[in-house]
Amino acid sequence: MGGILDSLGINQTLVAQVFNFVLLLIFLRIVVYPHIVRMLDERQKYIENTVNAAEEERKQAEDLRQQYLAEMQKSKDEARDIIQKASKAGEEQAREIIEAAKAESNRIKESALEDINREKEKAVSELREQVATLSILVASKIVNEKITADIQRGMIDEFIKEAGDLPC
Amino acid sequence: MSAAAEGHEAQSQDILAKVHHDLNVWNFPDNGDVDFGFGPINLKTIVMTWIAMILVIIFTVSATRNMQLKRPGKLQLMVEEVFLFLRGLAVENLGTKKANSMMFLVFSLFIYLLFSNLLGLVPTMMSPTADVNTTLGMSISVFILAQVLGLYYKGLGYFKHFVQPFVFFLPINIVEELSKPLTHGFRIFGNIYAGEVLIAVLLGLIPITATIFGGFIASVVWLSFSIFVGFVQAFIFTMLTIVYISMSSAESH
Repeated sequence: MGGILDSLGINQTLVAQVFNFVLLLIFLRIVVYPHIVRMLDERQKYIENTVNAAEEERKQAEDLRQQYLAEMQKSKDEARDIIQKASKAGEEQAREIIEAAKAESNRIKESALEDINREKEKAVSELREQVATLSILVASKIVNEKITADIQRGMIDEFIKEAGDLPC
Repeated sequence: MSAAAEGHEAQSQDILAKVHHDLNVWNFPDNGDVDFGFGPINLKTIVMTWIAMILVIIFTVSATRNMQLKRPGKLQLMVEEVFLFLRGLAVENLGTKKANSMMFLVFSLFIYLLFSNLLGLVPTMMSPTADVNTTLGMSISVFILAQVLGLYYKGLGYFKHFVQPFVFFLPINIVEELSKPLTHGFRIFGNIYAGEVLIAVLLGLIPITATIFGGFIASVVWLSFSIFVGFVQAFIFTMLTIVYISMSSAESH
């Protein structure tokens, strides 16, 4: 056994080398390794957080966009409503104005007709008065003074009545 | 063997010895010559191991000091990428929980072996992994660790796999188990040691071939290939460590 080891060149260096390596292992484990693991963990977490945040922001932006679109649609609808209402109100008003004008003209026509009738009545009665007066004058000229004014008056009224029944 | 061939071999041995002698500018004693009272040791290997350890410590500490979350520096990025790559491998083979508990070993193994392999490419330096003591020591440690983890994760049921599929297979299974640390250690040793020998040989050949084959071009090509080999062997050793641990601690064998 010893001969084999000697011919292979194996000696106490082996133990020393194992010791050296274990020493290096312990050093790296304590001084270097935790930093690497911590840094990699931190980086992984950082990337995860960033990706999550980006996803969240994207979602928020999408929501905001939808909201804006909805609001825009709503204001468009409102504008259309307002225009429709305004045009309807305008039509309504125009019709009201026309109706009022018609009513006014009717009223004016009615009152004018009434005036005409009244004036006519008045003129007729005035004419009657004058005819009566004239008749009295004419009769008094023609007929002598034997006929009294009262008799005369009765006769003339009768005559006028007959004349008034005639259509004029 | 004919006399001419013998003379030829003696000449190449001389060249190699001369190159080694010329490269030994730090005057390290030959292997096994030093004894501090607990047996012969290879002083050059140990000194080179310390240099590699110091380089690893400088590299990793400067990479992990003042780490940035959003704008990592070049060193930090390098270490993180290596770590993530190895963790991917470990998670694939061991499962997340076991991989996280083994990750510091895997990471340290890879970085240390990488620096050890590349150290041999610096002139007058030597790879600690070009000494069989280093690699075999590490592979045996990994072997013991795998056995301990197997016992830890599976209890006494761990020994069942030695007698599968029949009791008759016990010696074969034992040989299979024991061959793992041997091949594990000798694979990286062979690759790196061969690379170093070839570097020395090509250096020794420069005076002879300088006018015929272009001199140092072959040496440069081999050096660049050795960089690749250094990476690959460090990776293979680490990968096999993961695989052995996963084999011994897997739930279903």
